[in-house]
Amino acid sequence: MRMPDMPCIMPPNALGHGMTPASTPKMPYSPHSQVSTPSKIDPTQIPRPIAERSVIIFETRQGGQAAIPPAASSEFIVKDTGNCSPRLMRCTMNQIPCTGDLLTTSGMPLALLVQPFSLPHPSEEPIQVFHLINCINTEYSQQPYDITTKLSNMETNCISYLYILMSFAGFSNDTPREYFCNLGPDGRRRDADERPELCRGTVEFIATKELMVRDPMPAVYFFLIDVSMNALNTGATAAACSAISQALSDLPEGPQTMVGIATFDSAIHFYSLKRAQQQPLMLIVPDIQDVYTPLQTDLILPISECRENLEQLLESIPNMFGNNRVADSAFGAAMKAAFLAIKSTGGKLLVFQSAHKLLQPVDKNLKTMALEFAKYQVCVDVFLATQSYVDIASISVVPNTTGGRVYYYYPFSALSDPAKLFNDLRWNISRPQGFEAVMRVRCSQGLQVQDYLGSFCKRVPTDVDLPAIDSDKAIMVTFKHDDKFQENSECAFQVIMLYMEAREILVPVPKFLSSFVIECKELLSLTDFCCIFSVRCYTTVFGQRRIRVMNLSLTCTNMLSNLFRYADLETQFTYVVKQGKQLDQVTSTCINVLQSYRKYCASVSSSGQLILPEALKLLPLYALALTKSIGLRNDGRLDDRSYWASIVSSISVVLAVPLVFPRMIALHDLILREDDESLVPTPLTLNSENIRDDGVYFMENGEDGLLYVGNSVHPAILEQLFGVSSAAVPNQLVLEQFDNELSRKVNEVVNEIRRQRCSYLRLRLCKKGDPSGDFFRSLLVEDKALGSLSYVEFLVHVHRQIQSKLT
Amino acid sequence: MSEFLELEAQDGIRMTWNVIPGTKQDATNCVVPVSAIYTPLKPNSSIPVLPYGPLRCRICRSVLNPFSIVDFVAKIWACPFCFQRNHFPQHYSSISENNLPAELFPQYTTVEYLSTAETGQVPPPVFLFVVDTCMIEEEISYLKSALAQAIELLPDKSLVGFITFGTYVQVHELGFGLLPKSYVFKGTKEVTKDQILEQMCFFLGKAKPTTGVIAGSRDGLSAESISRFLLPASECEFVLTSVKSSIIEELQKDPWPVPADQRASRCTGAALSVAAGLLGVCVPGSGARIMAFIGGPSTEGPGSIVSKSLSEPIRSHKDLDKGSAPFYGKAVKFHEELSKQLVHQGHVLDLFACALDQVGVAEMKVAVERTGGIIVLAESFGHSVFKDSLRRIFQSSDNDLDLSFNGIFEINCSKDVKIQGIIGPCTSLEKELIAGFDQEAAATVMARLVSFKLETEVFNNSPDETAYFSMMLNRENVANSVVMIQPSLISYSFQSGPEPVLLDATAIAADRILLLDSYFTIVIFHGITIAQWRKAGYQDQEGHEAFAQLLQAPQEEADTIIKERFPVPRLVVCDQYGSQARFLLAKLNPSVTHNSENTPPPGGDIIFTDDVSFEVFMDHLQRLAVQ
Repeated sequence: MRMPDMPCIMPPNALGHGMTPASTPKMPYSPHSQVSTPSKIDPTQIPRPIAERSVIIFETRQGGQAAIPPAASSEFIVKDTGNCSPRLMRCTMNQIPCTGDLLTTSGMPLALLVQPFSLPHPSEEPIQVFHLINCINTEYSQQPYDITTKLSNMETNCISYLYILMSFAGFSNDTPREYFCNLGPDGRRRDADERPELCRGTVEFIATKELMVRDPMPAVYFFLIDVSMNALNTGATAAACSAISQALSDLPEGPQTMVGIATFDSAIHFYSLKRAQQQPLMLIVPDIQDVYTPLQTDLILPISECRENLEQLLESIPNMFGNNRVADSAFGAAMKAAFLAIKSTGGKLLVFQSAHKLLQPVDKNLKTMALEFAKYQVCVDVFLATQSYVDIASISVVPNTTGGRVYYYYPFSALSDPAKLFNDLRWNISRPQGFEAVMRVRCSQGLQVQDYLGSFCKRVPTDVDLPAIDSDKAIMVTFKHDDKFQENSECAFQVIMLYMEAREILVPVPKFLSSFVIECKELLSLTDFCCIFSVRCYTTVFGQRRIRVMNLSLTCTNMLSNLFRYADLETQFTYVVKQGKQLDQVTSTCINVLQSYRKYCASVSSSGQLILPEALKLLPLYALALTKSIGLRNDGRLDDRSYWASIVSSISVVLAVPLVFPRMIALHDLILREDDESLVPTPLTLNSENIRDDGVYFMENGEDGLLYVGNSVHPAILEQLFGVSSAAVPNQLVLEQFDNELSRKVNEVVNEIRRQRCSYLRLRLCKKGDPSGDFFRSLLVEDKALGSLSYVEFLVHVHRQIQSKLT
Repeated sequence: MSEFLELEAQDGIRMTWNVIPGTKQDATNCVVPVSAIYTPLKPNSSIPVLPYGPLRCRICRSVLNPFSIVDFVAKIWACPFCFQRNHFPQHYSSISENNLPAELFPQYTTVEYLSTAETGQVPPPVFLFVVDTCMIEEEISYLKSALAQAIELLPDKSLVGFITFGTYVQVHELGFGLLPKSYVFKGTKEVTKDQILEQMCFFLGKAKPTTGVIAGSRDGLSAESISRFLLPASECEFVLTSVKSSIIEELQKDPWPVPADQRASRCTGAALSVAAGLLGVCVPGSGARIMAFIGGPSTEGPGSIVSKSLSEPIRSHKDLDKGSAPFYGKAVKFHEELSKQLVHQGHVLDLFACALDQVGVAEMKVAVERTGGIIVLAESFGHSVFKDSLRRIFQSSDNDLDLSFNGIFEINCSKDVKIQGIIGPCTSLEKELIAGFDQEAAATVMARLVSFKLETEVFNNSPDETAYFSMMLNRENVANSVVMIQPSLISYSFQSGPEPVLLDATAIAADRILLLDSYFTIVIFHGITIAQWRKAGYQDQEGHEAFAQLLQAPQEEADTIIKERFPVPRLVVCDQYGSQARFLLAKLNPSVTHNSENTPPPGGDIIFTDDVSFEVFMDHLQRLAVQ
């Protein structure tokens, strides 16, 4: 066997992917050897992600050019020197092709992933906030939401960070005198570098009254709980009530926070809470074909006025409906009725649904309904605690159109799921978020926005309406060329978002992460253990309407090799994930990119080798993982796939990769390891060779946490971890902390992972020899499995396809 | 004449003709139709109550009575209607000329049978309160106290239900568990019985029977599901009437805002439809009343009588005549349907309408009348006409109220006479015997009474008042009907005892007290001299006992009338030349007006009107008749 010494390409990376030239993977492949003997490829030499351990300091612009951002998964501290933080906005390629043809040739997508409220690193400087100087023409004040109209009318081909403000502050005639400044020879204001609003990539403005379409609305939280027979019997109702009851304390006190509640089975039950010192009055709306809100007032009240009443009500709901025998659950009608109750203010509608038998209205109506919700600024989150099929594909339309999301607890366990439900709810209402947002993305002349993708509603082609936007949500924007760029010119992207501050988005956000307290706490009898995210509350001016402006300016190039060199793998992969393609399309997308590189960028002599561009060397591995993911697998449950599809539509780059390509760590030797300072040990390669029969492993993808227990694990370890020496631990896992070092460590690690993922993780125990164990093994993406290829086989397959295309 | 009164006193019946015309032609010639006015439940202590069931003719089902010809030897009786000969059953075997059963005693032309065998266990009466909440707070508080009082007067075993309405209809659960609950129905839609069954969870835990009639506890509904809405009065006091946080105490004005240029959104029709549906579901065929308390016109949903916009006035007689009352026909039709449903279920609709404006009595009349309901019209829920009438209903008897339910009224007549129609607070069940309902007949019977007073009917009245008056006229006995049409006027003075005087302006004198009874209103009118004495307080001074007595006499008479009458009439006590005096003057024959040549006698009065006096009217009539 010949081992050609042809490396797979690329100069040492300047891309911050943590690859050193020494580790440049080689893809040894002999055209003469039998392809069916992939064992000849050294499995230890094929590309795999390598975790970057050190913290990177990243300046967004260096030497008048955009710097190449570090990997989304690595830890970095951003210094905004003109471009916005890559946490807020990442492009699939860090140089922009001058022509559309070049882009087509590359086979790569051109898209932005925008995550407007992403959590910053604790050491980062906060985004600066300014009062909007009075430079917006009054002619636009008639259409408050239309600041973007004004913006788009201006010179679009703004160079570098000479963005909007510059434009109308520096060049327009209506610049206030005190803001006037002479221009330098480069056409920039001389004071541009001193003025943060002119030299930062991201700034925020407090909107003036003229920009408000209406007075600030109160923040309304309306809870809607399924109390049909099924929901009660499975304990879902009780879990929802207790979660809400506890989460209430995380809502900001004060007259601007309002709450309301309703329950539903085949009818909808509203509660009038405005009865000081008295029991709430239940108002039943029985006609679900034509729903209505039974009262105009008293259904939603400031939390300070009804907290006690609400807590008591939540406590009594499970008993009150204890012997409810109504099996039907009028999900759609209940949402509609609740919507009518909060229509005048907008707000968040949190639905706790369980029953499998869904009554009217069906799919098409749900879409119509969702559009109406969005129009009135109502955001819907659906918490599905169920033990049967619920048709998530239909249900998810509503949250995905209104800026919300689906939470899915299947099969619901009254033992382990309440803790997650509570934490999900708590994070949902306490994370940084904004209401009544409208977003527009603009770009330099030469490009135009093609489409938006995410959890929002689009009523006009240019704007995206978000009844709510939070720190977890990302919006993907695709572009296409409508003109050419000059080589080395700059192409600018600008995201403008007008929103109403819901809570704590305000700067400064000092040490945000350190204020994330993880603690163990005794909760209800249902939950022995619960992890709590606590976000420090800042005194903010509630209901301020703000404009966040994010700018990114990238260099244009005519060189295909530059495109590959500056490609952003994680963003490109996230693009593929969100495209919702079929199995074979994923593979062919991957092949097209690699073939383009092979054809135009690789040297002729390497014809017999599979050559991967350095920046995209993990693309085959990720593509393989995607074909094996829940969302694309053919053997999964329909609801699981629909759920997967619903969450990826708004997932951020930093969570998209692990969702498909999970992280696996060993737990049994946690206390033995000394090598590493970081809390979470180095991830293991996802193949079964790494799984020992006497080992305990933890695999997580940001959603689920699977704890795998081998066949012959030492009873002492089981005892330490689970409190029982045999493997009689239930699959629905409650991870308790016992008084021993291993247990403490494991809990620490799991909590650290929860913090990283902003997710509580749904823990499950997987046992070898059990279906749960088989499931765990099916997630080892490098393994060969029934109907799918191993990593090595896949590389061979990709190579062959490229070869056949080239000839 | 006195003979007829005696007959009415004993049997509650009075006939237009006390000799039956021999042929159809004779009857036609009579002009006034052959008819009987009957008060079926006229209280009379001399009516015997028989502790067994009636004996019926096997052909025509008429009941054995004193007019039956009895063959004591053969133990056979002949039906006086169809002449069928019937054998007496075994338990009549000891019958003889000297041993007659009570129903054959000649003086017992009216008897009552009390038989559990025929009727089965008598279910408790049901009272379903349907309460309007679209009123000012003041009216609501009046209504609250009246309702609370009424409910406390209910017999313990009777069942109570409670519905409120405004923009929406709320059916309150009285037998609730942890929380007070109410079902909220849209005001814009009628609700069918099936929807009630479906939507108010009557089939909890049970499959709904796929076929057959489902209604009541006998037919598939659990007693628990019914007792959520209809609770024995003894058990619902806490829920309904206790001072703190009971449903009545918490009654509030309809919370939906009403724009300044609009009427309140009031869905009376939907509320009645829900109420009828609920009774139909829970207690079909057993005695139940919907007692509706209404404070204004229905503006929402079925049965509405006017649009919400205040720029559109409520229909007048003129509008009705011209056919320019767009809501009228539909509303009447709705109430007709409602009455059919209620009659079919054996339930009653009572109406208590208290508002300054019209509330739609004209449209609702049909439903009240055909179900034999009570109607009370007053200006305010704080007015004694309403308060006292309501109290009267519930106060009348110790245990059972003087309300009877679910009666079936059969009329049998001799072979050659046929029933043409029936007018009154009831509905024909349309057995073949009865040829149908004939509105014409009503007008004709009344023609006898209305002979010269047609002007009362429409003049100066709203359609609601007209409907109210005509309903009362149709349900009252002859004596009271006459009072309604021609008020009675009694004079009290030192010169003579109480004596009836002509209903004429000349009746007024300074030293007289007049007592006017026009059925709905009773006026005590003090002549100017009497009034001055009264003001001076002579009646309280020694030596003036006679004057005190004179003052007292009409008062006592008025009290007697008020006590007997339902709805409670309005009592007006006034003095000559006072503003309230108009209540008397409006009823008097204007023989002396500001236009007339003859001057009033000293102490008399003149009436400012352009109406012609009776005298002129009669002259005119005579002239016409002669021509």
